[in-house]
Amino acid sequence: MRERGFGRWVVAIPMCLLALATIYPMVFTLNVAMKSRREYVLDRFSLADHLTAANIADAWNSSGLGRYTFNSVVVTAGSVALLLLLGSMAGYAFSQLTFRGRKWLFLVCLGALMIPFQVIMVPFFRVLGQIHLLDTHVGLILAYTGQFLPFTIFLMTSFYSRIPAEIVEAARVDGSTTLGVYRRIMLPLGRPALLSVGILNALFCWNDVLISLLVMQSEQHRTLMVGVTALRGQYSDNIPLFAGGVLVAALPVIAIYLFFQRQITDGVTAGSTKG
Amino acid sequence: MVQPATARRSTTAVRRRHLGEHQIAALVLVTPALLIIVGLRIVPLVLGAQYSLTGDGDRNGLFVGLANYRTLLDDPVFRTAVRNVGLLFLALPVAVAVPGLLATFLFLKVPGHRFYRSVYFFPVVLSPVIIGAIFNILLSFDGPLNQLLGKAGLAPVDWLGNSHVAILSVIGVHIWATFGMALVIFMAGFSTLDQSLLDAARCDGATLPQTVWHVVIPELSRTIQFVFVTTMIGMLTGMFGLVYVMTAGGPGGATYLPEFYIWVTQGQMNSPALASAASMVLFVLMLLVGLAQIRLIKRATKEV
Repeated sequence: MRERGFGRWVVAIPMCLLALATIYPMVFTLNVAMKSRREYVLDRFSLADHLTAANIADAWNSSGLGRYTFNSVVVTAGSVALLLLLGSMAGYAFSQLTFRGRKWLFLVCLGALMIPFQVIMVPFFRVLGQIHLLDTHVGLILAYTGQFLPFTIFLMTSFYSRIPAEIVEAARVDGSTTLGVYRRIMLPLGRPALLSVGILNALFCWNDVLISLLVMQSEQHRTLMVGVTALRGQYSDNIPLFAGGVLVAALPVIAIYLFFQRQITDGVTAGSTKG
Repeated sequence: MVQPATARRSTTAVRRRHLGEHQIAALVLVTPALLIIVGLRIVPLVLGAQYSLTGDGDRNGLFVGLANYRTLLDDPVFRTAVRNVGLLFLALPVAVAVPGLLATFLFLKVPGHRFYRSVYFFPVVLSPVIIGAIFNILLSFDGPLNQLLGKAGLAPVDWLGNSHVAILSVIGVHIWATFGMALVIFMAGFSTLDQSLLDAARCDGATLPQTVWHVVIPELSRTIQFVFVTTMIGMLTGMFGLVYVMTAGGPGGATYLPEFYIWVTQGQMNSPALASAASMVLFVLMLLVGLAQIRLIKRATKEV
């Protein structure tokens, strides 16, 4: 069905306005980050005099964002690696192997999808303290892995179940073991799904603030998003510098979005329509 | 979705030879994931239910029955948090209808639909902290939005400082930031829509609203149900970052939501048992919302 002529434009106008409302806050922030403090106080909306990354650089240098970025990179990379490994292993087993208890174990994994972190926050904090992993990178990596693993298993299972069993059988007739099939067939064939799921998980881990606030307590172990929340107090009288810091923290995500938009939307819709 | 039936179609000889190895290999593959899920999610859930029945402070660890839940009922801050959940429910139809409508427009192939989709989805990938910080700038009392209002001859609004307005500001920003998610899910639903039904409707001379009402909505009922559930769960569990950055629960506790209450009670107030009780209340709330989701999960597991 295709709407033609006049009707098309009647809807095009609100869509255009909404697109503007979606993107303008970012553009505004970018513009503010280019201004001097005086410029911002005089006029909020005027275009910055010149293109400069001075505020962004200042914010980067004066606020410890480098340290926080390092922490975020370590924790995100570790979590995504672990999630993809465990998620693809379990996904392969649930989708391609018949074994006792499969249905029940899969139900346990999916059921855990319905337990949000807020609900288990207090005991989680205690358990992590008891095994001496509070305020460590490993602790936060484990926390993220626990948090996003059910979702990862769900997506990997549904992806692997689309791989024809004949391929697996052929490899097995050729003498490959079950684990050999995982390494030689499932991992290479799963690359597009692993990319999609990996990017989604990377965004989740990178963007999180609640779990990170709870697990990482010392200032030197802060992740980037927690660092951003501290900027507000630090630069309360210098909005352009604050905007610069916010942009620094947003840039990696913006870049990932521009490169991997397809994989991201594929990932979120795979989680929805397969249900 | 998941069709292991084909896996079972293998020749019995090959199967029998591999059955023992098969079972062991499967356990090797599944065990690490299960250990993490049981240890870091299911065990804490059980522990949390147990903590919620024990005392805080000098009654630490002692069984106190439902005392924590009674404390919650008497706590005006918690009551505000629950009232704010009510506001979330009121906002839910808006949060679903806006992306639903937009997806319909995009489905009708408004010029540039790919571009719109990219733009609308963009805030979804940004951290709530980043979004909160940006809107902190935009909505501050001497900020740009109030200046615009001033230019239009209107009085400024204390978007984040007025206890009646602040919660609406936070909810509004959340909807702004997440409607792209629902939009993309709706579009995935539209792509499964049977084109011949639409053609038939057009042959019968149905107008656009009639087509939407009689064909699109019934055909997409599962998608709509899914969006309702996920949007509500997103509101109940995804607003911590926004609240933390934009208002920190203020002014006067007006923007508390259960998740924020749990965090403050556990951390600043150092009352983990009370926080656990609040956690259980949130969990029950989520379960009620998630009854529809349980149905969806059942459908998924039936096919495994």
